[in-house]
Amino acid sequence: MKNKRFNLLLIVVVTVVAIWSLWPTWRDYTLTKQVNSLGSSRDSLTFAVNHRDEIENARKKSLKLGLDLKGGMHLVMEVDQVDLFDQKAWNKDEKFFAIMDAVRAKTVSSDERVIDLLASEFKKENIPLSRYFYDIRNTDKEVISKLQKESEDALSRAKEIIRNRIDQYGVAEPVITTQGSRKIIIELPGVSDENRVRNLLKGTAKLEFRLLREPEVLIRTLDKINTYLVQNASAGAQAVQADSASAAAVHGKPVAPSPAASTGKVSSRPLYDVVGVYQNGTAFTNEHSKEYVSSLFHRNDIQALLPPDTELLISAKPDVNKTGEKLFTVFLVKKTPELTGGVITEAKATFGSQGVQPEVLMSMNSEGTSKWARITGANIGKRVAIVLDNAVYSAPVVQSKIPNGNSVINGIESLEEAKDLEIVLKAGALPAPVRITEERTVGPSLGADYIRAGMLSLLWSFVAVSGFMLVYYKKAGIAANIALVLNILIVLSVLAGFNASLSLPGIAGIVLTIGMAVDANVLIYERVREELAEGKTVVSAVSQGYDRAFSSILDSHVTTLVAAFLLYTYGIGPIQGFAVTLMIGTSASLFTAIIVTREIFNGLLGKNMLTQKSFG
Amino acid sequence: MRIFQKTNFNFIGHRKIAYGISLVLLIAGFISLAVKGLNYGIDFRGGSEVVIRFEKNIDVSTVRGALDASGVSGSLKQYGMDRSFLLSTVFRGDTGELKTLLLNALNSRIPGNRHEIVRIDAVGPSIASDLKLSAIKALLASLLAILLYVGFRFEIKFATAGVVAIFHDILCVLGLFSMIGGLFDFMPLEVDQSIIAAFLTIAGYSITDTVVVYDRIRERVRGQKPADYERIFNESMNQTLSRTVITSGTVLLSVLVLFIFAGPAIRGFAFAVFMGILVGTYSSIFVAAPLVFDWVRLSKSAIHLRGGQKSS
Repeated sequence: MKNKRFNLLLIVVVTVVAIWSLWPTWRDYTLTKQVNSLGSSRDSLTFAVNHRDEIENARKKSLKLGLDLKGGMHLVMEVDQVDLFDQKAWNKDEKFFAIMDAVRAKTVSSDERVIDLLASEFKKENIPLSRYFYDIRNTDKEVISKLQKESEDALSRAKEIIRNRIDQYGVAEPVITTQGSRKIIIELPGVSDENRVRNLLKGTAKLEFRLLREPEVLIRTLDKINTYLVQNASAGAQAVQADSASAAAVHGKPVAPSPAASTGKVSSRPLYDVVGVYQNGTAFTNEHSKEYVSSLFHRNDIQALLPPDTELLISAKPDVNKTGEKLFTVFLVKKTPELTGGVITEAKATFGSQGVQPEVLMSMNSEGTSKWARITGANIGKRVAIVLDNAVYSAPVVQSKIPNGNSVINGIESLEEAKDLEIVLKAGALPAPVRITEERTVGPSLGADYIRAGMLSLLWSFVAVSGFMLVYYKKAGIAANIALVLNILIVLSVLAGFNASLSLPGIAGIVLTIGMAVDANVLIYERVREELAEGKTVVSAVSQGYDRAFSSILDSHVTTLVAAFLLYTYGIGPIQGFAVTLMIGTSASLFTAIIVTREIFNGLLGKNMLTQKSFG
Repeated sequence: MRIFQKTNFNFIGHRKIAYGISLVLLIAGFISLAVKGLNYGIDFRGGSEVVIRFEKNIDVSTVRGALDASGVSGSLKQYGMDRSFLLSTVFRGDTGELKTLLLNALNSRIPGNRHEIVRIDAVGPSIASDLKLSAIKALLASLLAILLYVGFRFEIKFATAGVVAIFHDILCVLGLFSMIGGLFDFMPLEVDQSIIAAFLTIAGYSITDTVVVYDRIRERVRGQKPADYERIFNESMNQTLSRTVITSGTVLLSVLVLFIFAGPAIRGFAFAVFMGILVGTYSSIFVAAPLVFDWVRLSKSAIHLRGGQKSS
């Protein structure tokens, strides 16, 4: 009976490992209970401090709860590949912009890879990709593979940068993975300030130092745009109508009168309806018109009117004037940055010289330091705009050459925001913009409800199924129920052991497993009853029952495993949790039904405790 | 205790009636799918959903009025638990804005009753179409895998009939979802990711039941003449009736518990699995095995089965 001894040993080992793996979960639970049961908060604190190692250890190894049970955020972010490819292109012209716009429109509705869409659009126009990408001698195929490589790199870099930002912000046990060619999946358990996290994640953090053009040039350019808009009145009117909300706000609430805008009819000054100009040459727009003005500045036809290598930008934060209106400054800056955020080595949020204005101090590496010294030295008296993600934070006048590589961002509203800026600057800029395409947030109170609901389901399902087995199969039912308990233990311990987390769908998987795990025993017991009915002895009926039921048990378990595995492969997030518990449960039930219950019967048979009646 | 003593139903003889019932079920489902369609959840259609829970009892129309007055668009429904409401709106990349909008609206217009936003889901259109695609892939791949496995373990006729039975079960449940989706507030029956999980569970379970019947047929049919097939099929199905019903019964019990206790997030899933297992049990007796029988009869060849149990 060597086989029998092996089976017994196997059962003991599995049980011990299961309990060992679940032990920290139990300790975690009892310790937390102890801490909470202590009367005063002081007592709980002392207890927590005294048992700190033990508590931390138990917590680290205990069964993790999924986002839906604990509360937290699940985010899917997409790297904007169109923007990325746009960055890689050179010799850009009207044709190129038109094609890129078409590609961008298509990505919204299509499942195809962006690179394939790009290639097919270029093919449609019969333009080789190499006219804009890499070397003119490259074939389309080479360009595509290079761009594909580029986008893979961008994805993994974006993932690392996002991880840095989250780590610095401080979230316990974040999970960050990539999926496919452009998605990053971020799981943040127990996050309370979702808004802040969202802002922290979605900014590109592209920092640039750009020279400001002279005020006269700005005013000349604005005049030119205004004239253009008058000439294209119909097109302009359309654009205004398209943004009816901001247009209405503009008409209902005109911006503060400015010297340039005080005379003349409203309709003949489409630009100056929304942009005011001070005598000193500063242009501004109010908070209602900001969105419209910004979209205006992004239009290709408007950009063509600007002096070469310049761009119109709007300040990140408003100034509040005497009447309490929030005014955003408009800047004309050089398009080519003098210096970019890549040279920043250190950033620190602090309060400014007056001690009230939060600001971020930055220092640069040696290359940046020498460049910065040269730039500041050559542009004394001029203004340099500090631009983050295309919004101007400040545009100080260069007073003197800065030799030590220090610079500062001010114009920040709160210390919290300064801290977030510090984080994104330290983590570095994303290679391309990202946007949130899926977000699921569960509050902690709903999580607690889910846990209660899940536990109730587990309990009642166990009571119902095990009660049925007892009533229907009597003594044999006890064996099946022991196997069932072991089955649940195995599922939980495997989850805990492999650091997988338990979610509500996961609990549903366990509940379903409870129903399915007894199936194998039902198959065996029904077979044993048949054999008994044919007049066989208990010993041979049991052994025949097990042998003959084996093939249908195997087949039915394998098919369930296959379905669960494919669900795991193609599913995402919560559904995978369900698939995992179902897979573990099904495998465990093969073991518990075929080996565990059989050993129980062998034991009982050896002691003559099994009779015909034991199978109900 | 025994539910079935020795039974002697003539399943094969009455198979035409069963085919008729199945056809009626399928056609009714198809008509409903064509006319009414399915009630897709945000997983597959994209959009945002917010669950708001109030501290005190409140009428759905009061909340709706407050939201309408503040310009929050979207549909508001009672959601599962007491004092909770589900707001569905179009997708917004920044759910923060939506949240602020809601907080302002509810705080200013329903001041006496504190509320909490317990869940926000937002799924963009591109994700929604990705999810749809992978759901279809998962279903097709699992059907193919089951076809191959059962074909390998039994015979291609058995495997095909088994997969047809799975199709039958899933289509019946899908038809049912179309027919009664949206009728009950406590159970909106939206088709989302969890329903795909339900379908795969149904697929796995439907074939489980079928395999139990097949296994007995395999055991009995070996070396018998085709003329005896009808008797053997009938006897096998009668002998396994008790197992088939009890194994389904225990799973139905568990799923029923899920339906009652696990809350609104799981309810649609539990309903789908419950109905799927009911139909699956029916189809393993009345669809899969009779189809094999008809196929074997029409092809006039004996059954050559692989696999089987350990020699006894």
